Amino acid sequence: MSHAQVANDSGAPFTRSRAPTWWIVFGREFHELWIGGRALSLLLIYTLLLGIQTYVFASNSELSLIPPNEMVYETLKGAIAVGLFISLIIGADSISGERERATLEGLLLTPTSRRQIVIGKFLAAASPWPAAFAIAIPYMTVLAQGDEVLRPAILWGAAIGTVLAPAFTALGMFVSFWCNTNKTSLFISLGIYILFLLPAQLPGRAQTGAMGSLLQQVNPMASHAHFLSKILVNHRTVAEFWTWLLAPALLALLIFGLLFLYASPGLRLEAGRARLRWSWARAAGVIACLALFGSSPATALQTAQQPIQVAIDLDYKVVKASDHVLFSTVVTNSGAEPSPPLIVAMNIINLNAKGDVVDPEDWSPQRTQYTEQLPAGGSATLSWRINAILDGDYMVYMVVIPQPAGQEATSHPVASSGIHLTVTPFTRLNPGGVLPYAIGGPIVVLVGILLIYRYRRREIDAGGAR
Amino acid sequence: MEQHNRQVLVAEDLRKSYGPRPALRGLSFSLNAGRILGFLGPNGAGKTTAIRILTTILEPSSGRFVVAGVGSDRPEEIRRRIGVLPESLGFPKHVTGLEFVTYFGRLYGRTAGDAKAKAAALLRDVGLEQRGRSLVGSYSRGMRQRLGIARALVNDPAVVFLDEPTLGLDPKGQQELLALVQWIARERNAGVVLCSHLLTEVESVCDDVVILSVGQVVASGTTAEVIGGAQRTALGQNAIRIHVAPPSVADARRLLEALPNVRQVTTANGTAPGWLGVELVAPPHPAVSPDPYRNNRILDALIRAEIPVLGLQTAGGRLQDVFLQLTQGAIE
Repeated sequence: MSHAQVANDSGAPFTRSRAPTWWIVFGREFHELWIGGRALSLLLIYTLLLGIQTYVFASNSELSLIPPNEMVYETLKGAIAVGLFISLIIGADSISGERERATLEGLLLTPTSRRQIVIGKFLAAASPWPAAFAIAIPYMTVLAQGDEVLRPAILWGAAIGTVLAPAFTALGMFVSFWCNTNKTSLFISLGIYILFLLPAQLPGRAQTGAMGSLLQQVNPMASHAHFLSKILVNHRTVAEFWTWLLAPALLALLIFGLLFLYASPGLRLEAGRARLRWSWARAAGVIACLALFGSSPATALQTAQQPIQVAIDLDYKVVKASDHVLFSTVVTNSGAEPSPPLIVAMNIINLNAKGDVVDPEDWSPQRTQYTEQLPAGGSATLSWRINAILDGDYMVYMVVIPQPAGQEATSHPVASSGIHLTVTPFTRLNPGGVLPYAIGGPIVVLVGILLIYRYRRREIDAGGAR
Repeated sequence: MEQHNRQVLVAEDLRKSYGPRPALRGLSFSLNAGRILGFLGPNGAGKTTAIRILTTILEPSSGRFVVAGVGSDRPEEIRRRIGVLPESLGFPKHVTGLEFVTYFGRLYGRTAGDAKAKAAALLRDVGLEQRGRSLVGSYSRGMRQRLGIARALVNDPAVVFLDEPTLGLDPKGQQELLALVQWIARERNAGVVLCSHLLTEVESVCDDVVILSVGQVVASGTTAEVIGGAQRTALGQNAIRIHVAPPSVADARRLLEALPNVRQVTTANGTAPGWLGVELVAPPHPAVSPDPYRNNRILDALIRAEIPVLGLQTAGGRLQDVFLQLTQGAIE
């Protein structure tokens, strides 16, 4: 028995539904968002961006040599960032948009409680995230190229996104709650989003200092990206970096509290909350600041001598861009004493460009290697890999740096002979087989939009579903 | 009959201020089931504030009201008993009329099937049966207003608030909508509060009138009482309006000014060309009735001078006159 016969004030009996009104509001809002086409239009743009990014990753000869785990991480980061943006702007439209379209008054005139209206709207506004994340999975799968990074990427992406997307939706709704027009609400929401992205645009030193690190950790956008990079790219453990998830979780808790407990019962026709208690608003602000800044970051410091010789087993090589070169170096201690610990560094010089230095970080997974002290007459063999990223003429050579004996001592670096590396151009139309995904994703969403439009036309012809 | 005498809305000394500015200064009135109350006032008189208070969208600064036995301290219960068509109600474009009304039926607690059946019946009642399956975005203004009325009736309300329902409609549309308003009161036995600037229409359909000016009630009662009260004033007794062919206005004016019982002749402002306001000499004492043939004599003079007379009205005999008289200060 899910219904009860009741009589209204006029005495006419009707069957009362037991469905909670937030569910009915959610149903209508969901229908409006998806069948109305707004969510699908945003997802189409999102799919296009994801397709372009995936194709660029795979086709650009520089970027195609990024290891799969980095490409998956970058794709996941982009998917979450755009997903959050979509959540934010849909949330930002949900209340002020209704005010602007003069449809809020009709809703406020029903006996539905204000909080149930806000809950229904929130659930509908948060609904694009699962779809956005599901769309990103095939792109990550093709970029992973069978790498084991895919599973944790999906797991952590789903978990973090499922906390952050609703939080950003609620944030947008909270802004919308205080705005009379959509223009104001979207402008403020966009400003907040840019504010979250801003720390990533700070100069490198500003990001790595104590204050920079703090900023990264309290910013939910930066902190979740840092966590994902450490887990997916650097294969670090969750136990080491779980504190970087505090900011997203605290943001979600704070915003949900503000929206559902504080603001929503006072939803009204004009912007803002009925009878705002400033003392509570201030307290909430202080709690937010304390909570976000309370989780202090852990920073770490890092610091780093001879008859030494170094030899390379390769003199020259001609390869195509995107190929790789493998070679070995042998470091020998021909002295009578044991050597200090040794650092072997790779250097690449562009011979075409008046000797410009090439950053080996982009060209090789190992920029430097370290060996413990070598006994007298001892030697160590080190393996190297170079990914030929850009076409051109290069000289690759190694430098062995003995660890100085102390602060007031120095050492004598020793250089090897060079490898003359010639990289010829090579491009592919369908790098890594991503083209079908890059083009297919948006087409699938577009077909989805057309099918929904057709379904809607039939539904209207049949008298409407609801 | 008993149903008709039932009070469905009682407002007692409602006041509302926006900061230091009072918007409503002591609104009191009552409305019985099956009656239509015209809620009038110039722009800024406090009508919309009053309607929003009575429909629980705004909270009053002081005062209380009761809707169908439910006090203003229970707003959710009041919302179950009222139907409202706000002045500028927006409609979602991507839903059909049937879906729109069904959704609101569900918000009032009906099951999906019940709400759909109710919506279909209401759309039939308001003349939208044939367009119920069309998207609301394709509706004309008049159709949207009727859809808004169907939405307002979805909970079988005891009181229906209609804020400028005829705004922007053509004359035929206005007429149809006013017929619908009468149907709501007479057939559904709901009390109707009708806000409108179309005073002739209000006069023709409203049983009761409340006139607001600068947040205060300046007249209230049955429509006949309010008009009658104004007629008993000096203006009502001693002024008439005469409509002559526009080319003859100057001649008519000279002629009328020369008549012994005419005190002043003016070109009536805000009306069509050819209307003259004629102020007559008042009787020597308020207790003395005016000459009952004086209008005949004025007309006789105009006919003899071969001035084409197109019409004659007793000033103060219409709701419009009463409205203008009572709200003049606020309008100025």
